[in-house]
Amino acid sequence: MSDSSSSYAPEVARTKRQDEQLSSVLLRLVKGGPEQQAVEAGEIDAVIDYSGSNVILFPAARQALRPAAAGESAYEPVANSLLAALTRREYQQLTPSLEPVTLTSGAVLHEPGEPIRFVYFPVDCVVSLLATPKGRRTVEVGLVGFDGMVGTSLALGVNVSSLRARVQIGGTALRMPQARFTRTVQESQTLRHELNLYIYSELTAARQTAVCSTFHQIEERLASRLLTTSARARSDRFYVTQESLAGVLGVRRESITQAAIGLQRRRLITYHRGNLRILNRQGLEAASCHCYGQLSV
Amino acid sequence: MSAQGAKPGRRTDGYATAVVLRLYVAGNAPNSAQAVANLEAICREYLNGAHDLEIIDVLEHPQRAMAAGILVTPTLSKLYPLPTAQVVGNLSDTSRVLLAIGIGSQAHE
Ligand SMILES: [Zn+2]
Repeated sequence: MSDSSSSYAPEVARTKRQDEQLSSVLLRLVKGGPEQQAVEAGEIDAVIDYSGSNVILFPAARQALRPAAAGESAYEPVANSLLAALTRREYQQLTPSLEPVTLTSGAVLHEPGEPIRFVYFPVDCVVSLLATPKGRRTVEVGLVGFDGMVGTSLALGVNVSSLRARVQIGGTALRMPQARFTRTVQESQTLRHELNLYIYSELTAARQTAVCSTFHQIEERLASRLLTTSARARSDRFYVTQESLAGVLGVRRESITQAAIGLQRRRLITYHRGNLRILNRQGLEAASCHCYGQLSV
Repeated sequence: MSAQGAKPGRRTDGYATAVVLRLYVAGNAPNSAQAVANLEAICREYLNGAHDLEIIDVLEHPQRAMAAGILVTPTLSKLYPLPTAQVVGNLSDTSRVLLAIGIGSQAHE
């Protein structure tokens, strides 16, 4: 990275600490309780940290409440890894075009065949990329979190989506209009380089999906997928419905029910009304088909 | 914060009972601003002034939120009439707010 990145290192550290505090306080919310449901729906601005007698803002609220100081970057670049790779100057040029948006679980950002109007850089949400073959079932070919973006095909000169991008875990993302993104890719060598690496990792993950869905059993695939989601969401607890997992793995809902019962019986997870918690990470890794390693490059 | 009107169960006149509400927000953050707007609209339409609403900014008064056991913002807390009730989130679901306040759809002619 360029030397200018060191100039915002303190900012990076501060944001990271806030994010860590936020996720640790969120873990203490009663699972399935009204607070957790509202967090899931993207309707929360802040949590009260009783242990620290402190109020911790969500990234979108942090952004909205930041005093409009002249010349200051409007969003901590670390919020998304691809943006964090930019030099401070490049990032500041982009800031006016980056709009923080709250995405709710289940929202569709692109449909196949539709022009891509915006690209999305997730901050604390997770977006599933689904192939939608004719017929009813879908299958996931990519999962995008804080380390990636939705709409990479634009960087390859294709402005129509070939996939459905569906929000799996609600939260905040930074949105940029298509034309601005295309121009930025042309102008910024740093961003082009980061995108190339990211697109390569997407390609690798999609190849691994083909292997996984053809050769691996449903229970081990589910274990892999839960580990991937956990990594993207940076949490051992998240909300995911059986229907959505069925659409992700390209199987019937009943198969997900059976596989989840198997993992619960081995005390690797608990799963109740969509609230999933990983109890034994090592055990879950052992039970998985190990495709998560490749999936979360 | 003034104590005026803060006493739960205060009667506004001989018989009418005020609904006592506290809305906990984080400054002007997006969901908080939305909750304030939604709640004010609901109060205007359904409560006809027979309410006592205090908006508490937890960024300024975190200790008040903690004293009330509030976990996240925005949270609406109905203190009176009893039983107390809470609604968490930006209050875009009017029916849930009305249910918590204790007025069903029959209150709306
Ligand atoms: Zn596999």
